[in-house]
Amino acid sequence: MKTIAWLAGLGTLLAGAFYMVVSLNRWEWNRALFFGLIVLIAEIALATGLVLRRLARLEHSLKGPADSDVVQILRETRPTRDRFAWMRESTGQLNVFITFLVGGGVLLSGIAWVVDRVASKTSSPAGEERLARQLYPISYPSGGLLLDDITVLAQDVPGADDGQIRQLLRRGGRP
Amino acid sequence: MTKLSPVKLALGTVGLAVGIVGVLALREATLSTHEEVDARQVELVVAASSAGGEPGQTLGEMVEAQLLTCRLEVTSDLAGPIEDLGDGRFRAVFEPAMDETNRRQFCGCVEDFVIDHLQVNVVEFNELD
Repeated sequence: MKTIAWLAGLGTLLAGAFYMVVSLNRWEWNRALFFGLIVLIAEIALATGLVLRRLARLEHSLKGPADSDVVQILRETRPTRDRFAWMRESTGQLNVFITFLVGGGVLLSGIAWVVDRVASKTSSPAGEERLARQLYPISYPSGGLLLDDITVLAQDVPGADDGQIRQLLRRGGRP
Repeated sequence: MTKLSPVKLALGTVGLAVGIVGVLALREATLSTHEEVDARQVELVVAASSAGGEPGQTLGEMVEAQLLTCRLEVTSDLAGPIEDLGDGRFRAVFEPAMDETNRRQFCGCVEDFVIDHLQVNVVEFNELD
């Protein structure tokens, strides 16, 4: 892969330089500028690659080879890790239970918050007015359902005309 | 100081010589040297094509713009309208005639990236009496 990248960079550099010279020879300045830009990009990429490769070699040579005995000792003394110890049942610890409890609580709280937000959006002033208009036909009479004697006698006075009271009186058996 | 091997020295010398010759040749090829010409006019025939250009612009308009731009680099002007020969070919006559340097410069400009989405190739470039 590295070889392909180096060859691609080198090929781009050479082809760009060739066409730049050809374009200059033909007095095609814009084409020459374009190919010059390609050459410049390829040159910077190759130079950066060379510098990085040299730095990597230097770093590698400074570190020196790893001691195989030390590597072996480190591998043998590596502590074993039980990554699922927390799933094991234990009477003295509540680790899994606490985890699920807290997690479930957080989850439920989130859902409840979302439901609350959605529900609060379903009630609006216009909706409340519409509901009040719909409830008006089944609302109680303004004076209540019970009639006292004074009100009943007042209906006999000429000119008194209360439709709701007359309706209640009819239900009570009076004309 | 490290000593250079003869092979490296020879290669370096050859490379330096090639570089110097190349730069001199390029200088010679791009140097303006004007001279008198006998002809009065030059006739130019180009083949043009456009890809992805603006919908409102015709190929003739683009060729005309390219030629008018490039004639500013030389001492000649258009002598008459640009003729559409069909099949993407156009003919133009310039006056006065161009010397060798101006011809190369003008052809290079006409075939260069001057107007976006337009490619022009010089088909004929003849002197007219």
